[in-house]
Amino acid sequence: MSLEARFQEFKAAAYAPKKLLNEYKAAGKKVIGVLPYYAPEELVYAAGMVPMGIWGSNNKTIARAKEYCATFYCTIAQLALEMMLDGTMDQLDGVITPTICDTLRPMSQNFRVSMAKLQKMPTIFLAHPQYRRPAFGLQFTVDQYTNVRNELDKIAGHKMTDEDIRAAIKVYNKFRQARREFVKLAGEHPEAVSAVNRSAVLKAGYFMEKPAYTEKLNELNAELAALPASNWNGVKIVTSGIICDNPVLLKIFDDNNVAIATDDVAHESRTIRVDADEEGDPMMALAKQFANEDYDVLLYDEASNQNRRGEFVANLVKESGAKGLVLFMQQFCDPEEMEYPYLKKALDGAGIPHIKLGIDQQMRDFGQAATAIQAFADVLSM
Amino acid sequence: MSIYTLGIDVGSTASKCVILKNGKDIISKSLIDVGAGTSGPARAIEDVLTSCGLTHEDMDFTLATGYGRNSLDGIAHAQMSELSCHARGATFLFPDVHTVIDIGGQDVKCMHIENGALVNFQMNDKCAAGTGRFLDVMARVLEVKVSELGDLAAKSTKRIAISSTCTVFAESEVISQLAQATDKCDIINGIHHSVANRVVGLVNRIGVQDRVVMTGGVAQNKGIVESLEEGLGHIVYTSPLTQYVGALGAALFAYQKALKAQQ
Repeated sequence: MSLEARFQEFKAAAYAPKKLLNEYKAAGKKVIGVLPYYAPEELVYAAGMVPMGIWGSNNKTIARAKEYCATFYCTIAQLALEMMLDGTMDQLDGVITPTICDTLRPMSQNFRVSMAKLQKMPTIFLAHPQYRRPAFGLQFTVDQYTNVRNELDKIAGHKMTDEDIRAAIKVYNKFRQARREFVKLAGEHPEAVSAVNRSAVLKAGYFMEKPAYTEKLNELNAELAALPASNWNGVKIVTSGIICDNPVLLKIFDDNNVAIATDDVAHESRTIRVDADEEGDPMMALAKQFANEDYDVLLYDEASNQNRRGEFVANLVKESGAKGLVLFMQQFCDPEEMEYPYLKKALDGAGIPHIKLGIDQQMRDFGQAATAIQAFADVLSM
Repeated sequence: MSIYTLGIDVGSTASKCVILKNGKDIISKSLIDVGAGTSGPARAIEDVLTSCGLTHEDMDFTLATGYGRNSLDGIAHAQMSELSCHARGATFLFPDVHTVIDIGGQDVKCMHIENGALVNFQMNDKCAAGTGRFLDVMARVLEVKVSELGDLAAKSTKRIAISSTCTVFAESEVISQLAQATDKCDIINGIHHSVANRVVGLVNRIGVQDRVVMTGGVAQNKGIVESLEEGLGHIVYTSPLTQYVGALGAALFAYQKALKAQQ
């Protein structure tokens, strides 16, 4: 199978999740929607159901969700609700609503109230602790995850066992490892992996069933690893932000010979950095996995005055061989906006040029972004 | 044998062309007051060629820039961003330039130049405040021509604060001032300072360094230029060719590419 044919398979899944949802339901499977992010998807898998990530949409506009949302909520959250209101997600058997940021926190109640009012589906509330590493923080996470587990059991109609969860952890560790390997190979072979294709491969992971996805991705990785050393002569950058999956926007990178060396994007690498222990108490293993997550705008950092995250991102750029960073600033993401001065300070301190592009999922015209990306490529090529 | 290069700047509100001879002499220029998606680019190209008696076949290289730079298939040999072209054009006119401010029809760009090369830049967020469009909207509300704004602001005797950062709400503020019979000249002066405040904030993000040059059509508005000078604390230089700086930069890059193609 050609590389392009492999990419087409991932694109088919990434761009048409509704088709996959229909197929899962037609096969008699139960499907759980999972909102961003750090939800223990392993529990959905362990319950014998299919998790599908919900990170907004690049093809819809906000209409019905306006009834529930403040105007400054990000479009990711608003369009997620829109799809749950307009019938797109009606076949879901439930949805997990994490509360990891200041928008998702109140939005969890918008989801709860609207889904109950319209009698569409159960919502499963999930709160992560601020202090995730001390014993009390780990216990808080275990308690929250246990609640999610119990609610999933109700929807599944049977109780998952610890062994089911341990098996799910193994599946998800392999899934994350394959994704990390792909990110690395895509950065090494921009001549073979366009920014558009890179994004589609990673996005498909939110919709496809995990074992099948991992198998396909490992096959793709093997082909990429066997390629001769890249002779690509464009400019490499690192991307940062919550999400940047719009193919129209990403094509601007490809058109200007700008490749993504690696990323600090929540939708892509931030959520696959840490694996969970495959032995011992699986609920604690999942809690520890969350505790071990780091360098994320949305996670509390007791040493934030040291600007550890800024330094981490600057090092990511340097170690990846990229020449600069493109920050996709989701409007109006408070955590990312608040962090930006610190990120800028770290990048400036390390001599790493960057640009900040304001984006949202209702954007259809990327003329200004195209100008900035092209000019940034010129600057980095000097 | 002479090398002729054509730079075409297809902006959101105007189309500009410059023909350079041997990368240094401007032998023709044209400007049509409509931009991307209109007949403007074709008319501007026709004008610039007609006025110097050359044809498109005489051009050794044609390079497009501006918002509509990708719409000239079959005419332009290459395209570049207007940031790079404005930086290049401004350096041609002011060799010691370090800061370039370009207020365009729909965006504001601030550039930092070192040794003639663009090294850093900032653009406005997705908002019309501080752009040429903002001035268009305000001129319409005030029932004056955009080209009159500078002279009218010079007659202002009192500073009116237009505090809203959003074009829509600023328009409401202006209407409110008109309803209170505030002098139009004072309102225009306030609008200029409102635009300047937005731009100053943007320029300060990349650092202001002399010489500061303003490019683009809005630079013809001396009220804006003076407000910027006040806000920045630096002299802001403009050129009679201010509207052509992007096209000039494109023609200069085209010359570079023509030379490379000949090698």
